[in-house]
Order: sequence, then structure tokens, then C-alpha cells
Amino acid sequence: MLEDLLPFVDFDTDFLFAELDSLGVTTIMMTLSSEYGIELDASDATPRNLKSLDNIVAMVQAKLESKK
Amino acid sequence: MTALTDCLKRHAASTPSKTALIDAYGNTLSYESLFRAVTEAAASMPRTRALVFRASPSADFIIRYLACHEAGVAAVPLERDASAEEMDRITDLAAKADIPEGVADILFTTGTTGNRKGTMISHSAIMADAENLIGAQGFSPSLTFIITGPLNHIGSLSKIWPCLTVGATVHLLDGLKDLSAFFGAVDMAEGKVATFQVPASLRMMMQMARRHIAERSDRFDFIETGAAPMAQADMEAWCAALPHTRLYNTYASTETGIIATHDFNAGVCEAGCLGKPMRHSSISIGADGFISCSGATLMTGYLGDDEATRKVLHDGAVHTADRGSIDSEGRLRLAGRDGDVINTGGYKINPVEVEDVAMAHPAVEDCICIPAPHPVLGTSLRLLVVTNGHAPLDKKQFAAFLASRLERHKVPLLYSVVESIRRTFNGKLDRKSYANATEQ
Repeated sequence: MLEDLLPFVDFDTDFLFAELDSLGVTTIMMTLSSEYGIELDASDATPRNLKSLDNIVAMVQAKLESKK
Repeated sequence: MTALTDCLKRHAASTPSKTALIDAYGNTLSYESLFRAVTEAAASMPRTRALVFRASPSADFIIRYLACHEAGVAAVPLERDASAEEMDRITDLAAKADIPEGVADILFTTGTTGNRKGTMISHSAIMADAENLIGAQGFSPSLTFIITGPLNHIGSLSKIWPCLTVGATVHLLDGLKDLSAFFGAVDMAEGKVATFQVPASLRMMMQMARRHIAERSDRFDFIETGAAPMAQADMEAWCAALPHTRLYNTYASTETGIIATHDFNAGVCEAGCLGKPMRHSSISIGADGFISCSGATLMTGYLGDDEATRKVLHDGAVHTADRGSIDSEGRLRLAGRDGDVINTGGYKINPVEVEDVAMAHPAVEDCICIPAPHPVLGTSLRLLVVTNGHAPLDKKQFAAFLASRLERHKVPLLYSVVESIRRTFNGKLDRKSYANATEQ
């Protein structure tokens, strides 16, 4: 899903945040927010949360947990 | 003739400990320390007519840029990821070209006519731009101006000029992807802050950080946008979030300089309204509806391309490819742009440049780069590709191929494999037929 929207980003890296520009960060946050029905904003778009795909998954899971 | 470095010298003497610059890497320089660093760098500068170097949000870049001015060397900042080959090509071009006396900067831009050109800007044009902005937008010594965009483009670079002229503080950030860094810069400023953001970035900020913006509404003195049309809904959202902040939409280009600006948070909030010409500028609309600009901010010409210069700059005016009108209040109303250039996120892209690179890929038989709607950027690039059947087209690898040869903002986000590309009767790409394309 994210690879389709950001074709030149390598989502397998552990340095994902460094690869992204502001469009990439916004696209990821907006897409995940819409796809999973969670609220994500600037305070979630941290280098730590966007360090790798695993960290993104963990961020989404934490948001889903807090929704319950 | 006054130059930026004269202003720097003046502030170094009158307010030596005042912060002039905070860079993206945590370095802070006072006016005195910046002036000293610039003077030292200028003394050891090679005696060439122009110096090509990469732009970055660092104190080193600003020092080198100003040292060029001090030493009488034209500064040629290129994109941060410019290849060594591109640096060599531009260096060679600058060495062979005639660079008139008084040229301070050479900025490479997609240009009014679409092809990448080196636009020469004089010291006097820079000072006129600075005075235009100071007078119209209210730059003051207590201001901190946050710059997040690339410093090889006039949109961001031109904000250095009024800041150093009035003795304000410049805070450089490495893009806008870490919004916490942006709000950290807002919070750490001693006085009020201002920033320049292209409309796509303003939309991103509003989508990602509306609450953070509203919480700091009393911290923003003004925000300026430009370089691309801003949607009415986005303008209204910013007015609602920052009811007491001046919000400027500015008409400018590398060739014309900074021409007109309009505070859309002061009564007239209408997309396309770009305000009245500033102090050193004037605007006229030709019989064909195109905007022409004259005054002290105009470029000197294109580097090594007299023919292209004559096409755009004649009769004392730069003749743009933008269509517009002047309303009864004397305000410029922008109607649109002619030509093939695609504006994505404030960057003007010549699709031919993208297509030329794409055609070098072994799987590509034919292609066309067209505009496509995008929820954040407004417009993004879509590449329609006809494959030659010799090799499958892997979208990710193809994008990486393009990214290795083009600046990031020129790499299309969307790709579609199609049976054929439409052409006109004489074999040219039929761009008009794709102008509002939704082809997948």
C-alpha cells in the first residue's frame, strides 16, 4: 500500500525516516490514519516512529490499542 | 552600491551579539561571528568569476554564499544532491559564459519557458527584493524567520535577503518532515516568527498539525506562500487557525524577482489574488493576457543563453508565461499558466526532462509525463509508459532509476503502463489531450 504511494522509498531499511521527505511523512500518516481509522498528527511523526516499517506497525498497533 | 554583506557588516558593528543564524545542525552564529566567518572565507576564495556549490541548511552554506558576495564571485548554489557530473557541467558552463559585472547569484530554475537555465541575479536586484519584502511584509530586527525549503531556490533563498538587511534572525531547518523540529524552532524564538511555505506544505501542516498551529497562534507574525496556486479551502483554514497573523500570497519568480504580495487574512481572502506590486516593481498585462513585470528586481539574464534572455527579457520587462489581470483596486489576479511546465508542490517541472531520462531505461519504448491530481501536492507527476516487451517494468526499480538521475521532486509518484501514447499529426506528444487526464 505505502510502496504504491511512495515508489522511490525503500521501506525495508532501518533508516526509513532519513529516506523520507515531508511529502513522504504526510503520505504515510494520512494513509494509515484513513486505512485504520486512527488519529495521527505531527506529534506521532517522530524519527523514532518512522525509523522502520516495524516501528510504523508498532505505532499503529499502539493507536489501535488505545482506541479500544 | 549596497550589498547584503554591507548590511551584515553594519549589524556586526551595531548589534554584534544578536543572533544572525541558527542552522539545522544546532550551530548558532551572532552577527559578529557570521561577519567574521564570511570575511575569512572571502579572503581565501578562489579568484574565479563564479563558484558552484551545493546548498544545504547549514551555517557553512550561508558563510560560503555570503563570502562569494563579499569576494565579488557569483554564487551558484545547486541542489543538495547535485551529482559531481552536474557540478562539473555547471562549472564549465559558468567558466565559458559572460557573467556581467554586478551579478551576485546564478540560480538554476526550470524557467519561464520550461528548460533548466541559470538565472543571473545582481546585487542591486537582491537589495530591491529585500526592500520590497521589508516594506510590504514587515520584516523587523526582532523577527525570527524559519526557512525549511531548499536554498538553491529563490523562494527560500530570498528570505535570507530581508533578514540580513534588517538584522533579523534566520533559522534554517532540514525540510519540514520533522514538524516537531519546526514547532521547536517556533517555541525557541525570542520574538515572533515568520516562515515561507509552498501551498502543498501549508496543506500538509494543516492536515498534520492544526492543533499545534492554533496553540501557537500568537507566535506567528506572518506566513508567506507562493510558487503555486493555493486552494481557497486551504486559505480559509489558515485564516481560521491564525486569525491575527498576516498571511501573504506572493507573486515572484527567479526571473522577475519578488513582485507583488497580498495579505489574504485582512479582508479579501480569494484564491489567485496576489496583491499590489511592491515598492521597486510594476506589473502590466499584455493584449494577449500575459503578465509582464518591470522594476529593479528583474534578472540580469540567463547564463550563456542570450537568445533565451531576449525572448523573456525585453523592453525593460520580463514577459512571463502567466496569465492574469489587474482588478479595480490595482491587485494582480493570477488566471493560470501557459506552456508545458507542470507545477507540483511549488516546483516547476519540465516534463521533457523527465521523459528524456525515462526513455533511457531499457524497458521503455515511449512515454509521456503528465499532471495528475494529488490530495497533498494538489498536482503530482504521472508517467505513462509504453514498454518494449524486452523486460518487465518494475515500478519500484523504475522509480529508483529515475531518482538516481533526477532531483527527487522530478521523480513521478504515479506510473501507468499503456498501449500507446497519443501524438499529434506531426508526431509530437499530444500534451493537450492529457491535460486533464485520469488515465490509470
